[in-house]
Amino acid sequence: MRKIGDRLDGFEPGQFKRKFKMLFIIISVALSLLVMRMWYLQVIEGDELRQRSENNSVRLRKIKPMRGLIMDKDRRVLVDNQPSFDIVFIPNRTKDIRTVIDKIKELYTERSLTFPALSALPGRVKPFVPVLLERNISMEKLAVVETHALELPGVATEVTPVRQYLNGEMTAQIIGFTGEVSREELDRSTTGKLSPGDIIGKFGIEKFLDYHLRGKSGAEQVEVNVAGKAVRSLGRIPAAPGDNVVLTIDSALQEAAWTALGNRAGAVAVLDPRNGAVLALVSSPSFDPNIFNGGISFDDWERLSNDPGHPMENRSISGQYPPGSTYKIVVAAAALEEGLITPETTFHCNGTFESGDRVFRCWQAKGHGNVNLHRAIVESCDVYFYNLGKLLGVDRIAAYARAFGLGAPLGIDLPREKGGLIPTKQWKLSRLRESWQMGETISLAIGQGFNLVTPIQLANAYATLANGGVLYRPRLVKQLESLDGHVVKIYQPEKQGVLPVRPQYIQVINQALWGAVNEKGGTGYILKRQEQDVCGKTGTAQVIGLPQDEKARKAKRVSAGFRDHALFVCYAPYGNPEIVVAVILENAGHGGATAAPVARKVIETYFARKKMTQTQPPAQAQGAADVRKMPKP
Amino acid sequence: MIRLDRRLILNFDWTLFILVLIISGIGLLNIYSSGFSLTDFHQTQLYIKQVQWILIGLVGMALAFFIDYRFLSRHAYIIYGISIVLLLVVFTAGYATRGSQRWIAVGGFTFQPSELVKLTIILALAKYFDRHQIGRGYHLTELFIPFLIVIVPFLFILKQPDLGTGLILFILFLSIVFFVGLDWKSLLIAAAGGLILTPIGWYFLKDYQRERILTFFSPERDPLGSGYHIIQSMIAVGSGGIFGKGFLKGSQTQLKFLPEQQTDFVFSVFAEEWGFLGGMILLILFLSLILWGLKIMIHSKDYPGALIAFGITMLIFWEVFINIGMVLGILPVVGIPLPFLSYGGSSMVVLMTAVGLLMNISVRRFILQSS
Repeated sequence: MRKIGDRLDGFEPGQFKRKFKMLFIIISVALSLLVMRMWYLQVIEGDELRQRSENNSVRLRKIKPMRGLIMDKDRRVLVDNQPSFDIVFIPNRTKDIRTVIDKIKELYTERSLTFPALSALPGRVKPFVPVLLERNISMEKLAVVETHALELPGVATEVTPVRQYLNGEMTAQIIGFTGEVSREELDRSTTGKLSPGDIIGKFGIEKFLDYHLRGKSGAEQVEVNVAGKAVRSLGRIPAAPGDNVVLTIDSALQEAAWTALGNRAGAVAVLDPRNGAVLALVSSPSFDPNIFNGGISFDDWERLSNDPGHPMENRSISGQYPPGSTYKIVVAAAALEEGLITPETTFHCNGTFESGDRVFRCWQAKGHGNVNLHRAIVESCDVYFYNLGKLLGVDRIAAYARAFGLGAPLGIDLPREKGGLIPTKQWKLSRLRESWQMGETISLAIGQGFNLVTPIQLANAYATLANGGVLYRPRLVKQLESLDGHVVKIYQPEKQGVLPVRPQYIQVINQALWGAVNEKGGTGYILKRQEQDVCGKTGTAQVIGLPQDEKARKAKRVSAGFRDHALFVCYAPYGNPEIVVAVILENAGHGGATAAPVARKVIETYFARKKMTQTQPPAQAQGAADVRKMPKP
Repeated sequence: MIRLDRRLILNFDWTLFILVLIISGIGLLNIYSSGFSLTDFHQTQLYIKQVQWILIGLVGMALAFFIDYRFLSRHAYIIYGISIVLLLVVFTAGYATRGSQRWIAVGGFTFQPSELVKLTIILALAKYFDRHQIGRGYHLTELFIPFLIVIVPFLFILKQPDLGTGLILFILFLSIVFFVGLDWKSLLIAAAGGLILTPIGWYFLKDYQRERILTFFSPERDPLGSGYHIIQSMIAVGSGGIFGKGFLKGSQTQLKFLPEQQTDFVFSVFAEEWGFLGGMILLILFLSLILWGLKIMIHSKDYPGALIAFGITMLIFWEVFINIGMVLGILPVVGIPLPFLSYGGSSMVVLMTAVGLLMNISVRRFILQSS
């Protein structure tokens, strides 16, 4: 203390009093300046500025963000944005919307154009809140409205981007469509980032990745004159464009599958077994998503939703079908792993199998004779699997089916995925209040009965065999990119489990599946190819054996045809599979004859393309950026 | 050095403490309001962070209060040196937002060493001028070392780039030099030099900084760009009128039309919601704080104490004046926070610590008197 006290020498407390006076003056003057300025802004200009902030001369205009593009795995654009011209009415000098509409109708009729019926006009128009009159108008209508602007007070044209689905029906099921946010969706939205009038994804990837695709709205504060015209911008927060989505889909395979299906009802799911990437996903019949551009008309909506072919259902992920003989691999794996049989175990097939007082038939009426597992799969012997079913029991089969990813949604990147059905004793008891019958297990062993799978589940189950036992989550999204092409997020393969089956048994089944295609007498022999070893399994699902509770729902479809569904699942090349294809054709008869050729088209396309890209590098797909530019009106 | 003296408690400067608490409390309410939104219920929780900053600030205040300021003054150069090292860390390990690299991360928080430098150069200059008392006005040559003390961090900060903080350092330097006294001939030379250097300085400014200054002179020049800040801010302030729109009711604020409304433009939020009367009350509170700081300076028992008290008071004064002047559109937009009101931890903690130092000087005059 004393040491520091030394410094006090020569210091005279209070010597700064004079300086204080000067400082006091400077500070007072400075702060007075602030007060004067506040007085000027808040009291003198206050009313004026308050008006500018609150009354109608300053309006907040929403700037819609540009929705992200959707591209295939080679960055070919699948969904683009196009400018659409809308007519809006901005109530200001005149609020009489009906007179304005009548005037437009009159102008239209003179040129034999029609004005669409407005679904709902707001009961009371609020000043300066635009009312949409007509969406996505033709150039001709645009010209009419623009040239008669003086006769149409308050009517303005606005440009908004709309989605252009370049592949139409072919990819409609996966990509989906957009639409104006509904009241319920607004209420349900938890992020609070939606407001009325926003365009959001309603179906498919558009819905699943809506948050990323949508972007962020901007806003502009504009000063408007008495006529409601913007005279100047007071400030603008630009909209942030949405991210571009790169899918795992290969357009060429998608197209091959779509063309091969033709106008038949059915679905194709194509996977890369090495990582779960979905290469193609086709569902037929389909719909043209472009009719949703700028709001679907009531008639179109009625027609679509009442179509008996259910074009809006994505059969590849939500169509549930009995797996038929394709299910035999599950039963085979279960029996091997449970030690009930060895690959050499044989059963005799004379064409029938008796259990209790019921007789079950093999599809080959004259029987297969003595068969081991390999031949049983190659020739799809039903009796062999009736035996296995009896040995295993329903619950053990169910456990293995679940390990193959059946019986529950796989979690693909799309909304409305169904889980199929893998029955157990418990399930039947609680659902139907009946006890399980042995006969049901026996028909279940060849994939008939209560069993239901979706095409994507089927493809994924075979992918698990193909890759040696890893269950991946099927993925449709490869990555997200920003507008300028920077990668925002990469979606990695997701392992969901490992098949609880020893590798040598998986190998036995793979060999048998190879035999089913490549050996004489194999049910998929039609697919035999020289250059690529294909492994596969046919299936035929009986339609009339539909379970009771599904009957009502599918009544229409059943009456449309009592023929069986044809199934075919395959992968190639044998040894190191790169592609899995599952095909389901509704009411098309036997799988080998009808479904296998569809799969063959896809496999051929895949390997033809692979050969091509190996010999010459692919031309760089055009940059997404230029596609996204919108011409100014 | 830390000595729990009964007199520290007896003579505690309650006026200063309560003034700062009131102003910080107003700031907190204001940040709550600026984060509140009528349209978006997804509340941003900035005010909770601000509470954390105030609490950390109070710890800094307590430390600065209990450690004898003469100890700090004696080690002023070391403290100054540490702050310069931290500034250098910003360049190697700092992280950037919106085009400038100002922050370093400490734990979950980020810290701006440039805020700390505002305080450490006061300590360093106070020590220098205490050591070199000459009893007459200083010549320019005699100001070379103090100039060096300021110019080093000044250049670093300008490089970040942070025009506002650089400006504050320079103004603090000038204030202290005028306070300790400047030879009148030197004054003239300095003024002339300043006039010549201005165009050269202009050359070194970044584009956005030039743009801001140009826009200040004519906001309409670029209503979509940097003039936007000023227009929006003036509309917000003006629309508050005499009595204001009321707490949480500022439409400019709630529609998020004010950019940086929690940080540099926080006063416009306040003025919109509390009006002219609220603004007057806030200015009177600041004036009281500044005058109280000057009172502490007058009654300080030693030269470094007086200089530190002066420097801290001037720091608060200039930040208040420049920030509010900028929000009201009479000064160019430079990034300077409003003391105790702007959201931001570094500024809050450093200013709280500075106030602790003021209290320290305030209370020790009694202790020194009696020894």
